[in-house]
Amino acid sequence: MKKSKVIKEILLLIVAIFYLSPIYIMLVNSFKNRQELYENVLALPKDFSFQYYIAAIEKMNFLNAFGNSLFITVVSVIFIVILSSMTAWMLARTNNRISKIIFMTFIATMLIPFQTIMMPLMQEMNWIMKTTGIPMLNTRGGLIFMNIGFNTSMAVFLYHGFIKSIPLSLEEAAMIDGASKFGIFWRIIFPMLKPITVTVMILNVISIWNDYLLPSLVLTQKELRTIPLSTFYFFGEFTIQWNQAMAGLVLTIIPVVVFYVFAQKYIIKGIAEGAVK
Amino acid sequence: MKFRKKSWLAFLLMVVISLVLTACGGGNDGKAKKENSGDDGGGKKITIFQSKVEISDQLEALAKEYEKETGVKVEIWGTTGDDYFQQLQIKLNSDQGPSIFTLEGLRQAQKLKSYVADLSDAEFVPNIAPKMELKMDDKVVGLPYGVEGFGIVYNKDLVKPEDVKDYDSFVSTLQNLKKQGINPFGLSQEAYFLIGHMSNYPFSLQEDNYAFIDKMEAGDVTMAETPEFKEFGKFMEAIREYSNSPLDVTYDEEIGDFASGKTAMIHQGNWAATMLADYDLDFEVGMMPFPLAGNDKLAVGVGAYWAVNGTKDDAEVQAAVDFLNWMVSSETGQKYIVEEFGFVPAMTNIEANNLDPLSQAVLEASNSGETIPWSHSYYPPNLIVNDFTPATQQFFLNKDITGDQFIKSLDNAFQNAIK
Amino acid sequence: MSKTKNRFWFALFTFPTIFIFTIVVIIPFISGIYYAFFDWDGIAANAKEFVGFDNFLKLMEDERFRHSAWVTIKFTFLALISVNVLGLTFALIVTSTLRTAKSARTMVFMPNLIGGLILGYIWSFIFSDAFSIIGKVTGFESVFYNWLMSPDYALYAIVLVFTWQMAGYMMIVYIAGIENIPYELMEAAKIDGANYWQRLRKIVLPLLMPSITICLFLTLSFAFKIYDVNLSLTGGGPINSTEMFALNIYNEIFGYSNYGYGQAKAIVFFLIVAVISLTQVYFTKKREVEM
Repeated sequence: MKKSKVIKEILLLIVAIFYLSPIYIMLVNSFKNRQELYENVLALPKDFSFQYYIAAIEKMNFLNAFGNSLFITVVSVIFIVILSSMTAWMLARTNNRISKIIFMTFIATMLIPFQTIMMPLMQEMNWIMKTTGIPMLNTRGGLIFMNIGFNTSMAVFLYHGFIKSIPLSLEEAAMIDGASKFGIFWRIIFPMLKPITVTVMILNVISIWNDYLLPSLVLTQKELRTIPLSTFYFFGEFTIQWNQAMAGLVLTIIPVVVFYVFAQKYIIKGIAEGAVK
Repeated sequence: MKFRKKSWLAFLLMVVISLVLTACGGGNDGKAKKENSGDDGGGKKITIFQSKVEISDQLEALAKEYEKETGVKVEIWGTTGDDYFQQLQIKLNSDQGPSIFTLEGLRQAQKLKSYVADLSDAEFVPNIAPKMELKMDDKVVGLPYGVEGFGIVYNKDLVKPEDVKDYDSFVSTLQNLKKQGINPFGLSQEAYFLIGHMSNYPFSLQEDNYAFIDKMEAGDVTMAETPEFKEFGKFMEAIREYSNSPLDVTYDEEIGDFASGKTAMIHQGNWAATMLADYDLDFEVGMMPFPLAGNDKLAVGVGAYWAVNGTKDDAEVQAAVDFLNWMVSSETGQKYIVEEFGFVPAMTNIEANNLDPLSQAVLEASNSGETIPWSHSYYPPNLIVNDFTPATQQFFLNKDITGDQFIKSLDNAFQNAIK
Repeated sequence: MSKTKNRFWFALFTFPTIFIFTIVVIIPFISGIYYAFFDWDGIAANAKEFVGFDNFLKLMEDERFRHSAWVTIKFTFLALISVNVLGLTFALIVTSTLRTAKSARTMVFMPNLIGGLILGYIWSFIFSDAFSIIGKVTGFESVFYNWLMSPDYALYAIVLVFTWQMAGYMMIVYIAGIENIPYELMEAAKIDGANYWQRLRKIVLPLLMPSITICLFLTLSFAFKIYDVNLSLTGGGPINSTEMFALNIYNEIFGYSNYGYGQAKAIVFFLIVAVISLTQVYFTKKREVEM
């Protein structure tokens, strides 16, 4: 019994490590010069000097980009969580045609490839800017607004599925007590949504933090660049600085991994009482 | 009562949301405005959106020097070269265009006809090396970044230029090298390095290469019936027979194989010098012409031009022209072009010293006029990446395809691209 | 509560989201449809010529688009299975009592974070070098060679990389579903003597249906829209064998500068995909158990 468990543990570890091999390639090559990289991609670097990391930090103007990315990601994700959880709850609990149509529209639009709407989107934003004076382009606020628009449909979809599995009886009881819908949602429902909220947060943090295409269209000023936008220096027309690019990527993903390790505590109840044993 | 209170809360939340959203926007707006008002004291601001990532850092430094000298602020936007034109297109379409942008050839200039300003009267025009400016309808619309050239980059220990003069000598050189266990001729899998640059030769050896392409588009002529192309097919057959498949090789590996002496010749341009500089070479490097139909000239052209956005107000257009003029005429600007950007200057009033051997070869060829032009910048859009490349991959994967059949498939690919 | 009040709450809860969503997604999408009826090169200042349904008619004869449709569907089908089988398996393992589960959870999550050119670089190396080493060591050289260079295998290479990336993503969604299964239910089943497989089949999977609906749909939508991995890994090659929908449309719009035609493709693409996906959602939703 115990022996088989040890074997399982080891097996799992091996699978996980194998799964990570591309990450290994990324890590070791962020320390190599071009000749080393060419000679053997798999080998450990001759020395672990952080020169490419330092170069990457300098070129990317890392602190500034980090601040921008952090601000944009955090604000976008907060709004996405608030707005889509409320919307999803209403849609899930209202059983009429309109709510079904709205829900289906949300889902269907998740199938639109961004590349096909980016041009009309930018024209529309420019039009809004011209007619109303609200600065949609070249501002963090504008990018956050668009992030919300593009990411709520998936969040609504995730929440919707989860809310369906929450018993109605709780809400009905509260309703009889005279609580308003607003109160019911924030006091009773939202706390119960914690696992899916954390999931939504993780998935959105990943996609917004790493997004390149949309920010590249919205933000042109140097001071506003996010981390992915700042990595452009490494990808030349003919020459790519692989070592610096990989170092830059390592720096980019560390905050997300830290966030994930922290956040996953909240989706995994207690390990000892895991659902499936 | 209770219900009221809660609905108030809800309302408040909505207000806060909208407030924060506008505040985010507004906050930056304020900042942007401040920058603008600051500029009004010192002068105009111009923006540059350009495709050559390699020089972004240096260009930013140059912009700072310019601001110090003249008070005009120059803002450089970022791009990853690959999606440059698509981004430019979207920016122009949504009225967010830069004052100065890159054009990569006549095709792009024609497409953006209503945006490019006429630079014919600019001060720098007379100093552009002969035929190196970008002309559309007899108007100068582009100032060259610099000249670039490609040909066969070879290892002087392994190959002598005398042995690569025409088809027969080329083939016997390949055979000899192969016997010594050296990969004779390297291409790489990236579209431009696989076929884009190579396909230039048969076009550029025509009397009027642009007219030839026009005729092909009109259906008046095909590659399959043109002798230079037939010979090109034979050359490609020889390369396929004696060399390692380029499809397996990335540009990085191509350079690495060359630098470590495993490959004797590669088809590359002077830009490869920056990559080679990262290796400790124990041999000398040279560049020689690709001997298609006895060709003895390097292919030299301009990969990118500076163009000015003519839809901006007159003051901004003028400021943009002034900046370009300063860049190619002031001492600081010229120093940057040669030393920092690493360009082979395309201006007669800029001197270049201490060039790497590949750039030196290009400069000499360009100064003596012993060059053949670039044709690929006049190809129909996307021809290389989407049509020539699949045909070439097919050719390298399937050894039964003859050179003639390959040229026919290029004909088909061409027709597909203009459809 | 009265009907008007309900309506008020409905509007209050949904309006902000719908408002933003409409501006950012719906309006651009609809204006995109408008362009599909024009012959236009995508430069605002250049002429647009109204051509009616010509772009759609042209589409019927477009061999390459049909081919890319077929490749996309094949890819999506394979990815759907591999991503979800692997993602669900991962989720079940990492929510178990194994001590290494916690670190495995982080490891499986990480591939999500590598994108773009670097992804292409790393994997092209794995396929070209690591695969040939595996082939030599194991003797299966006919299986382990550079898949990216073979028109028959390149698609599987993309499936592999996509699975490697997305399995961890779906795992996160599955974990949330598993955590939502009442603990008491499992204990009761255990006391009744149900073994692991019985519990999995009779309790876990049925209760996981909402998560499965979600994950199937998410995989479907990501797979149909696949662009980054496609571009950086094969660029559609060799010989256009792996050019999928999104890349094909992108090439049409920005490569060949046929904006109107590209938009027509996008609309047809959207319709095909919507029919398939909504059918999937409809059928899996039906199997969900409400509690």
